[in-house]
Amino acid sequence: MSGKDGRVTREPTGGLARLEAMISYILITGVVASLVLEAAGLFLFYREHATLAISYDRRLILHAHDFFEFLAGLFTSHAAGGDGAYQLMALGMAILILTPYARAVLSVVYFASRRDFTYLAVTLFVLIVLTASMLR
Amino acid sequence: MPLDMLSLLLISLPVGLLGSLTGLGGASILVPVMVLFGVPVKAAIASGMVSIIATSSGSASAYVKEEIANVKVAMYLEMFTSVGAIAGATITTLIAPVFLYFFFALFLMTSFLRFKRSKGEDGGSTRSIAAADAPPAPASAPSGLIRRLDLRGSYYDAARRERVRYAATHPVLGGLGMGLAGLAAGMLGIGAGAFKVTVQENVLKLPSKVASATSNLIIGMTALAGTSVYLKSGLLDLTLAAPMAIGTTLGAIAGGRVLNRLPDRVLRALFIAVVVMLIAQMLYKGVTSL
Repeated sequence: MSGKDGRVTREPTGGLARLEAMISYILITGVVASLVLEAAGLFLFYREHATLAISYDRRLILHAHDFFEFLAGLFTSHAAGGDGAYQLMALGMAILILTPYARAVLSVVYFASRRDFTYLAVTLFVLIVLTASMLR
Repeated sequence: MPLDMLSLLLISLPVGLLGSLTGLGGASILVPVMVLFGVPVKAAIASGMVSIIATSSGSASAYVKEEIANVKVAMYLEMFTSVGAIAGATITTLIAPVFLYFFFALFLMTSFLRFKRSKGEDGGSTRSIAAADAPPAPASAPSGLIRRLDLRGSYYDAARRERVRYAATHPVLGGLGMGLAGLAAGMLGIGAGAFKVTVQENVLKLPSKVASATSNLIIGMTALAGTSVYLKSGLLDLTLAAPMAIGTTLGAIAGGRVLNRLPDRVLRALFIAVVVMLIAQMLYKGVTSL
């Protein structure tokens, strides 16, 4: 679809192309950033603990009453007793979780700005369901 | 058998590749494999759920850019899958683990639905594309809901060297089917990709490529809904999730590259072998823990 052929035959998609480009960018950026952080976290874990054993240590299990509280906790220094590996991996997970969430937020804003009320309702519904599941 | 993070990462690589080749996705294979290594089933499910956000979003990024994935169809269907996933994940946090082995085995059996259909794939999909090509969809003119939701589109098919137009059918039934897919996904920590594609191909009548590309986009959002339930339940173990996310995603990228070079016969045999082994493993685990 790349190259001239694709361009020439490209149909007007009702202006969705911009949204698609932004979604594509958000997804790949979020995934790459989070995986790099996870890898760095694993490396640091090995440096700090001289082992890569899966310990089911409660300190390494993400647990929060709601996601946004967990997110805020990541940026306060006392989180997880200042374990750098934990913080890197937890931040990576937070970014991973925020990746589809950012897509949901972006879609709502996009359809609102285009006054596409059908899809504003659809995307708003998804965003509310996600937010509710992250809050509670 | 003790499993450490490095070996989990190394196992995740070929599993991600296999998941991508068979269309099962990494988590459907890795959750039973982790259980085999003694990881508690709920912890395996929770880490599967979060790692598929990475695997599916990574491939969805390319499909969206190439306009193969239909974002409107995805957003419409996500209404159903996200609610299903939250319900499914909540059920998992509440029930005894032994049920999960059986549900997992049972759900894996549904992946043969797609295989059954793909026997007649060539004839079937050509016909459905041809039908979508004819300007107004024959027999069933697009219903009011299809038009209102704009569940139509077109994509450039590189193999056919032409732009293929399509319109969805049965949006309500398709939505309910996707709700079921979301329920299973949330409950079992998997993408339920094969099931989602089956619904999109057979109920919504979307072309195969659009169905699998759109499915990738939907899986990420569905997994997010499930993940937030597991986060609150304290089931999300970083030492499992981090290596699994890295491994399956890298493996899936590699899988995407070799997919087109392998003959269908090989892929199909691989698929059957993997699914049968996974079903046997989960049933065995279920029966022995009764």
